[in-house]
Amino acid sequence: MTTEAPPPEGGAARRVPDATNIYVGAVAAVGICLTAAAIRLDGIKFDPTFWVLLLLAMLAWWFGSVDIAAGRVRLSFTSIVMLAAMALVGPAGAGIVGMVMGPFETGRAPLRARVFNAGMFATMGVVGGAAYTAAGGVSGGTDPVGTWQVVLRIGIPVLVADVVQFAINVVLIAIVVRLAAGLSMRTQMGRILSSAGAAHLGYGVIAFIMVVLWGPADLGSASVFLILPPLLVAQWAYRQYAEEIKGHERALHVLVAAVEAKAPHLVGHSTRVAELSAFMAEHLGLRAQVVADVRVAGMLHDLGLTTLPTGLVRSTGVVGGRGLRGYPARGVRLLSGLSFLSGALDAIGRHRDAVTPGVPDGPELSVPALVVGLADEYDLLTEVGTPDGALVPRDDALALLRRTPAGREDLLRALEHALSRRAGVAS
Amino acid sequence: MRAILPRAHLSRAWAVLVLGVLVLTAGLYANGGSLVDQLVLHRLTVVFFVVAITVGELFRLRLPSGREAAPLASASALGIVFLGQVDGEPTFDVAAGFVVLVVATGLLLAAVVRAAQGGAVRLEQVAARLVGVAVAAWLARAFAPNGRSLWSLEVDLAVSPWLVAIGMVAVAGVGIGVELVLSSAVRSERQRSPWLAALRDEFGEVAPLTSAVVASGPMVALMAPALGLLSLPAALFPLAITYVAVGHYVQNRVTYRQTIATLSHLTEHGGYTPTGHAERVADLSVRMGRVLGISDRELRDVEYAALLHDLGQISLVEPIPDGATVLAAPSDQRDIADEGARIIRHAEGLDVVADYVEAQTTPYRQVRELGEEVPMASRIIKVANAFDDLTGGREDPAEVRAANERIHLGLGYQYDPEVVEALAVATSDTTVGRVEEREPAAR
Repeated sequence: MTTEAPPPEGGAARRVPDATNIYVGAVAAVGICLTAAAIRLDGIKFDPTFWVLLLLAMLAWWFGSVDIAAGRVRLSFTSIVMLAAMALVGPAGAGIVGMVMGPFETGRAPLRARVFNAGMFATMGVVGGAAYTAAGGVSGGTDPVGTWQVVLRIGIPVLVADVVQFAINVVLIAIVVRLAAGLSMRTQMGRILSSAGAAHLGYGVIAFIMVVLWGPADLGSASVFLILPPLLVAQWAYRQYAEEIKGHERALHVLVAAVEAKAPHLVGHSTRVAELSAFMAEHLGLRAQVVADVRVAGMLHDLGLTTLPTGLVRSTGVVGGRGLRGYPARGVRLLSGLSFLSGALDAIGRHRDAVTPGVPDGPELSVPALVVGLADEYDLLTEVGTPDGALVPRDDALALLRRTPAGREDLLRALEHALSRRAGVAS
Repeated sequence: MRAILPRAHLSRAWAVLVLGVLVLTAGLYANGGSLVDQLVLHRLTVVFFVVAITVGELFRLRLPSGREAAPLASASALGIVFLGQVDGEPTFDVAAGFVVLVVATGLLLAAVVRAAQGGAVRLEQVAARLVGVAVAAWLARAFAPNGRSLWSLEVDLAVSPWLVAIGMVAVAGVGIGVELVLSSAVRSERQRSPWLAALRDEFGEVAPLTSAVVASGPMVALMAPALGLLSLPAALFPLAITYVAVGHYVQNRVTYRQTIATLSHLTEHGGYTPTGHAERVADLSVRMGRVLGISDRELRDVEYAALLHDLGQISLVEPIPDGATVLAAPSDQRDIADEGARIIRHAEGLDVVADYVEAQTTPYRQVRELGEEVPMASRIIKVANAFDDLTGGREDPAEVRAANERIHLGLGYQYDPEVVEALAVATSDTTVGRVEEREPAAR
């Protein structure tokens, strides 16, 4: 499943709301009852197919699902195994497979999440399996013959089952998140649909291939060994990708380190500005991508300093320093080749304009530029100080900032909010 | 457009090319009489697979080393190698030679399209792929140890399909293996690196993709009795996901390198080092590394370290003339290297790169006389840096010769003789040490 996000845990200190526990218990009970009813109605065959699927169910978590870039790309084996079970062993078998799969989640998932997953997967297995049969799907030995028969009796039913299982998944998760974390159901469902909707179509196609290889192609469980390699390789590639992204972020820290080597008095400054800017952007309700851009801009806003003569940088205070005028533009020039930083360039280039008294040249300043400029100037005044080390107290700094283009009421409020949030984080 | 024939002195490339032509001729000869009948009978199947191979060839993945792979085309080719019963179409009962002709048509069509788009096509690489497919087709359809070929077992309903599947995967593996051995032979000759190192890199870099291809090809043939020709797109679907995933990974690798390159620009924009110096040193270091048989994995760190070798100059109060560290006092060189390494160590995961940067100033004498451990990467960067400082990036043969001679004077004292030898090889010809299938851009 792409979205088996276990109910968020608030840490040991927070008491678990009772409604959530009741809900989790109800989901588990429904899963058990549905599975029992399906066994009662259909009976169940303990043939090799069933045991292999059960084994796969236990391994599915271990193959894992990788989450890249906030859920944009995911590959999950649990969905594929569930769909294959619906088509190969029917609702009753799929219910049992789901019940076994739920608790086997790897990692440190809390007991409550495991119970919830068991109930949810069992429900999906039984209802999805029933949907498969209702859509005309065949299972258990009677293999359709001919291309169109295979598509009609396996392909389309698998897709129907896929949609049904995804719908159950989305609704049950949205409710638990609503109860445990108070997030609105609609937001949560929208988030899941947009991040995982397309991927689920893909799982349907892969499950279809697996069922065709298993049944009509008469390969049985050996089909797993053919279908796994490409998926595991994709998995491997996404892991590498995630690693590289982490490495990439670390490489940005080298850029900061270069600034600090050039200007030792600015050690820690870039990190503080990045944090303050991001807090302010969040408080102002900017989009997630913009917040990320503002954070990076805060981090790299002084990069241009590295291209100036060392002596000049070290002897001139940055606040209002005349000798250092052009450095924001130099920073932009350095970074302009990096496509993933394109959203941050404007703020890097104009952050000084935002706090230079008077009407700035050029077009109106963007909010990110104002935010980074404000955070930068505040930190320079209160933490970095002039070359001789004189610091300005907080309130005086705020009064000074009020006189700059960035001294808008909403921005100053955002700054004060960010400051108190930082103090909260620190303590 | 050019279809690039190997240069005259590359005997292995010519051998592979001749082998490919022989395979093609044999295919034509063996099918001479029945070719038209077979084509008419299997027209739909043939068109389907030719299109898949052509399209797959056009959507190539460019891996971080510059090597290219076409997993979708390879899997389609393996699919037709094993194809037997096809629902809705006559059973694909053809000789191995016919399969070779179909695959060759797809490969050549793609080559023509690529050429028309202005790309360069290396014919010996196309030949290597064709020979690999021919070996697999022969093993599947003609090789019959007990009087039964793998193909005849496949269409025999009494034989367990999963035994057949194991046989298919094994044959597919052999076919791809042959292709990799041949193409690494050609590559090692062209880039002047040891064959074993080229073979290791070839297998290492494409191993994950290859395993996915080896499983996907047989899947086409196994599903065809039930799904008909639809089995081709269906079986390629999981591989397409793989393709996208690897593509993401490769793309991210490219942006990572851009970020590192940006770091090398800091000193250039500040006027501490000449423009393009770091990129040139990186390019030369990687090529020398290939000549010396260093693995792709290590070469990545070599490249990053070479890009960053002058980073330490950033905090110099007085820039050194032209940024040429080879002319600076040894203690200054060491300070610069240490400062660079200190900055790089701020990023976790770049420790190896920092070590390489740090050790780049150690003279080779200390390795020889004091047994000091200096990584090969650092010795390479030391030589490449000296070369670029001396030539200033100019490719005039007289300057190149003068720089080589000057570095030769430091042989054994400053520089590792083996590395200096690699420099001489790498500077003798711009194609040395390059993996790229396309020709380096003209300068």
